[in-house]
Amino acid sequence: MQYMILIYEPEDAYAGEAGQALLAEIVAKHMALAEDLSASGVMKDGSGLQDSSTATTIITQGGRQTLHDGPFAETREHLGGYYLIDVGDLDEALAVARRVPVADGGKVEVRPLAVY
Amino acid sequence: MDRLGSAIAGARPRVVAALAARLRDLDLAEDAFSEAAASALAAWPSQAPRDPAAWLWRAALRKALDARRRAAVRARAAPDWPEPPPTPEDVLMAADGPIPDERLKLIFVCCHPALAADSRVALTLKVVCGLSTDRLARAFFVGEPAMLQRITRAKHKIAAAGVPFEVPQPDAWPERLEAVLATLEVAYAQAYEDAALAGQAAGFAQDVLRLSGMLAELMPDEPEALGLAALVRFAEARRPARLDDRGAMVPPPEQDMALWRRDLIMEGARLLGRAAGHGRSGPRQILATIHATHCARLETGRTDWATIAALYEVLAEIRPHAPVLVNRAVAIGEAQGAGAGLAALGRIDGLEGWLPYQAARAHLAARDGRPDDARRAYEAALGLGPAPAEQLYLEAQRRSLPG
Repeated sequence: MQYMILIYEPEDAYAGEAGQALLAEIVAKHMALAEDLSASGVMKDGSGLQDSSTATTIITQGGRQTLHDGPFAETREHLGGYYLIDVGDLDEALAVARRVPVADGGKVEVRPLAVY
Repeated sequence: MDRLGSAIAGARPRVVAALAARLRDLDLAEDAFSEAAASALAAWPSQAPRDPAAWLWRAALRKALDARRRAAVRARAAPDWPEPPPTPEDVLMAADGPIPDERLKLIFVCCHPALAADSRVALTLKVVCGLSTDRLARAFFVGEPAMLQRITRAKHKIAAAGVPFEVPQPDAWPERLEAVLATLEVAYAQAYEDAALAGQAAGFAQDVLRLSGMLAELMPDEPEALGLAALVRFAEARRPARLDDRGAMVPPPEQDMALWRRDLIMEGARLLGRAAGHGRSGPRQILATIHATHCARLETGRTDWATIAALYEVLAEIRPHAPVLVNRAVAIGEAQGAGAGLAALGRIDGLEGWLPYQAARAHLAARDGRPDDARRAYEAALGLGPAPAEQLYLEAQRRSLPG
């Protein structure tokens, strides 16, 4: 089964000098994890995302589309990146998701892909 | 329940588990079992066959495979096609064979930590014990549509999110076992709480008794599983003595021991002894030991409050929760004097609106020779909506105050 691992982190997790040092550390862990998951054939795709200030949201209402500057919801946590993996079941997916590095307060959501 | 009914209920966990493991579909497994049970009632004349589980397993598996085949035919939208010939699997299953024991897998699926905690309890009682949705709704004080939705959502998540039908790997074992034990503990607490036994939850105490015994049998090397089974047995042993003739609650030290079920107490003691042999203590074993100490009055003629207070002390280290702290204060009050108990109770904050706290305060104040404090606390407790048996008890206690 394919699962999407969505990584949510506090927007200010990597602010300041200490934040940048933490970022470098976490990115290095992501690289190592991605390499390992690719080598075992588990990882299908994945990437980090730029800051939510770079997001543009398209809102469809009453048949009209309008553009909105920013992410769709203003929350303290923002979507920072994702992995797309292919494993046998939820327990295996959760085992991978537990290895995803996050800053303190980070949340990792695991969702199976819909199969049509 | 008649003999056929209990033969069917007894076979249910094993057969539904084997079906679910084979079909990977809880709904189909449950439906097929119900159909097989209905045929059994029609086909078995007055007594069950020698091996009812094997009969039900064969009948249910046949019905499930038929249902799958019909669904596949419908999906091809060709109403006139003949039924396909039996597959080799059908032929194989028609032969006698042992039913695989998949009960532990089924329990782990229903108690998976990825499911909401309140859904796990309901789903386990529904799928493993066969409790009806309407009975569960009444037991958990929600409407039937809400309960149905809870169960449907949990089943949907199991299927859609890919919850595996496996006993977890060693590295996940502690977390998963904890989820299973917590689920059964919540289910039992629900059944135990109602001393009046009039409530709907009391009805499934028997199911949890069976379920916890099953778990202890399937996980003989897990002391906490053994501890939970022991705890349920000690507590259920005293059930017949928990109400007096007028229907009022009777606290353990005043219960008529002649009404206690010695068979369950012995079973509990055996389980607790085996748990202790593993040398790994835990909250359920401590709780079971507290219950065992109450039951030891059978041998010694008195309640050993000093031991009970010491056990609550240890338990409070692991579980510093309101019920444990209040029970500890009561035990201290019995062991060291009501004043010491009141002092322990006074160190717990923010429980004024909680019935067991007020009941404990009233009891300790009365024993400490402070009838006015006791009366106020009894009134507070009575104002917090006690169950009928508890209300009768609290009213009688209040009446017996001097002045």
